[in-house]
Amino acid sequence: MSEFFLTTGKWLSFGLFIFFLPPLMVGVLTKCKARLQNRIGAPIFQPFYDLGKLWRKGETVSQTTSWIFRGTAAINFSVMLVISMLLPWLSFKPYFAHADLILVIYLFALTRFFSVLAALDAGSAFGGFGASREVTLAMLVEPAIMLCLASLGCLYSTTDLNTIFTYDRVCTATQSALWLLAGTGLFLSSLVELSRMPIDDPTTHLELTMIHEAMILENSGPNLALTEFTHYLKMAVMWGLSAQCFLHALCYFVTINEFGRSLASLIMLLVVLIIVALIEGTAVKLQWKKVPEFIAFAIAMSLLCVFVVIAKS
Amino acid sequence: MHLDTFTVLAISSAISAILMLGTNHLRINLFFYCVHTLAIALETAWIAQRFHDTNLYWIAFFIILLKVIAIPKYLQWVMTKIDVESDVEPFIAAPLAMTIGVGMLGLSYLLSLQFSSLWTEVDSRMGAMAAISVFFTGVLLMLSRKIAVSQIIGFLVLENGIYLFALTQTHGMPLIIEMGLLLELLAIVMLSGLIVFRIKKSFEHIDVSRLTELRE
Repeated sequence: MSEFFLTTGKWLSFGLFIFFLPPLMVGVLTKCKARLQNRIGAPIFQPFYDLGKLWRKGETVSQTTSWIFRGTAAINFSVMLVISMLLPWLSFKPYFAHADLILVIYLFALTRFFSVLAALDAGSAFGGFGASREVTLAMLVEPAIMLCLASLGCLYSTTDLNTIFTYDRVCTATQSALWLLAGTGLFLSSLVELSRMPIDDPTTHLELTMIHEAMILENSGPNLALTEFTHYLKMAVMWGLSAQCFLHALCYFVTINEFGRSLASLIMLLVVLIIVALIEGTAVKLQWKKVPEFIAFAIAMSLLCVFVVIAKS
Repeated sequence: MHLDTFTVLAISSAISAILMLGTNHLRINLFFYCVHTLAIALETAWIAQRFHDTNLYWIAFFIILLKVIAIPKYLQWVMTKIDVESDVEPFIAAPLAMTIGVGMLGLSYLLSLQFSSLWTEVDSRMGAMAAISVFFTGVLLMLSRKIAVSQIIGFLVLENGIYLFALTQTHGMPLIIEMGLLLELLAIVMLSGLIVFRIKKSFEHIDVSRLTELRE
């Protein structure tokens, strides 16, 4: 009986993190960026207010849209929720199910598929723009994510991400190096996947240059709130995953207990956020032609991961 | 493959050299060159403390002084003078060149397995792998780029590869030879910088692929 209560308690606290951490992360990120530019910036709870306001607003839906446009926000939200429960993006995530790495990658692709469909469904020119760019980027960046996770899987001879990301084993120097490379590769590809700064400026609203924003241009009201929240959750999951990789790389130097790990995973997430804020504060948006050069760094990292795994065995 | 400080330093110098291939931006290239050479200098210092060799400490110090600080500063000054920021249209596109570079790292791993480890306490084959990979990277940089400044950077990387090979296979060369090599390197970079000025002055560009055109 006490087992049951313990599990329920774990899930309840983790559920709180799923719903409150992502908007908070975005708030912290905007605050960091503002401080870097010598501005006071919006309070860190601003994303909550924004989401709440959008939720109460009325909605305008184009006449030409079909059920896909209405359904996409809900479908993406539920798929993202499943991903966030599957992937070990925080160290204290309770066990949910066998998180196969190929399944997770296809679930990410599923959300992308539906957002592209919804963008095309509304029939606006900018939606098509954004959709074509999103698909091009995804095609380039997917091998990098796949190779990073697969080389980690090869190292521990399993495809279950929960087993790969478990902490109850001793980390050797080679494994620590592999974690570092995989973390860097995942982080670089997450910047592309989430359309963050060197690829796409999330704050601009110039339709000709944007990627993610162009796709959700037709959404409004609760639909937009749900889409935005899904994007925040994706951010939290992907950066959380790279933060976990970095933590595993640190495991070679220090060993900490379970509570310390939970705290460390949140601190590492904050560190990743500060790195993103630094990048966004200093980098300029790349030309569309130059984007493959940036993605090549992620691919080089993943190839180095593969090299380490091959050389080790 | 077993990772210790020796291997980590060697491989990190190889990886930062490979990252140089990934961008045409010359300032970022120079930054990665500094990181790459710093790793080699630290490797020298590590071998020095391992074998209690004072000469190697001096070599490491001079590498940091000349290759990490002086030469990049000089090349930056040259770049500002002739007003060049990045390489235009290299023969091999930067993303492809970097992927080839990683492939070369794999190839040099296979090559280094043919050697026998000369040291007992560390696996010197890993040092050989990194050195051959740095050598290949330098060759790739010189082959794929068009701007004369990139050719100089490529040459510097290639030279680092040869030095790293000598360092990791033996326990470092005598001080007098190293000093001679460093002085020679400095002279070569100074001269080639001056030649770049001349080329810019008489041809109004520094694209080496167009230097075959005759001009009055």
